[in-house]
Amino acid sequence: MATTTTKVLSPKEADIQMMLAADVHLGTKNCNFQMDRYVFKRRTDGIFIINLGKTWEKLQLAARVIAAIENPQDIIVQSARPYGQRAVLKFAQYIGAHPIAGRHTPGTFTNQLQTSFNEPRLLILTDPRTDHQPIKEAALGNIPTIAFCDTDSPMRYVDIGIPANNKGKHSIGCLFWLLARMVLQMRGTILPGQKWDVMVDLFFYRDPEEAKEQEEDEVVAAPDYGVSDYAVGALGLQSGQWSTQMADAQWTPEVAAAGTIPAVGNIDLSQTPVVASGDGWDAAAAPPIAGIDVIQAAGWDS
Amino acid sequence: MAERGGERGRFGRGFGRGDRGRGDRGRGRGGRRGGGRREEEEKWVPVTKLGRLVKEGKIKSLEHIYLHSLPVKEHQIVETLLPQLKDEVMKIMPVQKQTRAGQRTRFKAFVVVGDGNGHVGLGVKCSKEVATAIRGSIILAKLSVIPVRRGYWGNKIGKPHTVPCKVTGKCGSVTVRLVPAPRGAGIVAARVPKKVLQFAGIEDVFTSSRGSTKTLGNFVKATFDCLLKTYGFLTPDFWRETRFTKSPFQEYTDLLAKPTTKAIILEDLDKE
Repeated sequence: MATTTTKVLSPKEADIQMMLAADVHLGTKNCNFQMDRYVFKRRTDGIFIINLGKTWEKLQLAARVIAAIENPQDIIVQSARPYGQRAVLKFAQYIGAHPIAGRHTPGTFTNQLQTSFNEPRLLILTDPRTDHQPIKEAALGNIPTIAFCDTDSPMRYVDIGIPANNKGKHSIGCLFWLLARMVLQMRGTILPGQKWDVMVDLFFYRDPEEAKEQEEDEVVAAPDYGVSDYAVGALGLQSGQWSTQMADAQWTPEVAAAGTIPAVGNIDLSQTPVVASGDGWDAAAAPPIAGIDVIQAAGWDS
Repeated sequence: MAERGGERGRFGRGFGRGDRGRGDRGRGRGGRRGGGRREEEEKWVPVTKLGRLVKEGKIKSLEHIYLHSLPVKEHQIVETLLPQLKDEVMKIMPVQKQTRAGQRTRFKAFVVVGDGNGHVGLGVKCSKEVATAIRGSIILAKLSVIPVRRGYWGNKIGKPHTVPCKVTGKCGSVTVRLVPAPRGAGIVAARVPKKVLQFAGIEDVFTSSRGSTKTLGNFVKATFDCLLKTYGFLTPDFWRETRFTKSPFQEYTDLLAKPTTKAIILEDLDKE
């Protein structure tokens, strides 16, 4: 959809535009009666549309609560689902909170004898249905709970429910990013006018294959020369082709010392007093070593 | 003590099989509370935030804890805030479970704890040895200490001496009803609830009970439930809107943020 008017959007409208792009407004085919107030309309294919204006308001409210906690380490952000784990970790990193990604060990909030016993002042969750265990425990320990609730999420014991799509990875990432930015703005770390230099993409969940591909790209790019030299040297030794190795005189003693040495290699080694393999321990290294010994000896005498 | 004697007799009749000696010996030892042994428990290292605050002395009374509905997980908290707490074992009940090799007996101890001035606690613990059961139930009783509301029968002269209104508590089939009584009436109740009410600090009350009061466990729990409800009853003095105060976790957040002993131990190791 191309917009012909390029008018300047207010910060709220810019946020909502981002939320629309991330599909935050799409709910599910069922609607919990307590989420009725946040629903705009039901689409023809049965999906409920969430009113993003209300989502923004609830995000602001949640941000106010988070900013009001004096010690951010007392806040626990949690996600059992993989889609929310990266977002939760990044959120905690920028806010200073304590993240729990993955399984919530039952009893962390109630069992004082556990090593992972924690008494937070605030709990933030991605999904009240999958994270129902921390909700139950928070209720026992007087811990207020903020959660991203979809149209069909149970609202029991959730104190601030932010109506949003908590099923899509872009949606969850976007929400945590927005929430983090709002909290930092309220704290004064970010000025309201300036753009936050952290990208939204940082909060998105990455599939393990996707993540591996990216890493491989990075690794292949960097030290090409070093890798090939080592490879050549090692291969040459194993095959026993010394002629090619004599050209790289530096490498042979070092590599030979590391592995099993044929007869030819031994003679080379005897000239240079090298015990351990290391960089620069060639024939050139011999005089300096002797020098050091002399100096040390002198030191001992005096 | 007379009750205990009765138990002993019942024991011999109940099961003449082996291993009963252990129980009897245990009871003999467990009868006396360890007056000298308490020295070890001086070194209380609080685990919960509330424990830390109580140890520092930031929380002066149990009422502060009640006001914010904070769960009490460490019994030393109650001990520090209510030093004149007395305890009394109401009953040691042997309970049995059938196994392939005979019966497996454990002892269930009912302990009532109180300071005689508005705080009572009830603890029930089952254990293989009597002494352990008693010790455990004392701890549980301290954890369950409840405030008891007292009021007047009529003419608000002097200190409150009776229940503020008719309250009733139920556990199992036993229902206990407490009715306000004039001064000087004393506690008109059966032996069991009388003990509990004395610990609560109620001076005059009429009671009425129904159901199988023979089951001491339920009887005692019913009176406890009754006393719980004294502060649950809405009277016109509570009509005023509450003025909310900061939770102690918020007030003392700086103090709580400081690292606990773990960090100190690490420092010591480094120095060495």
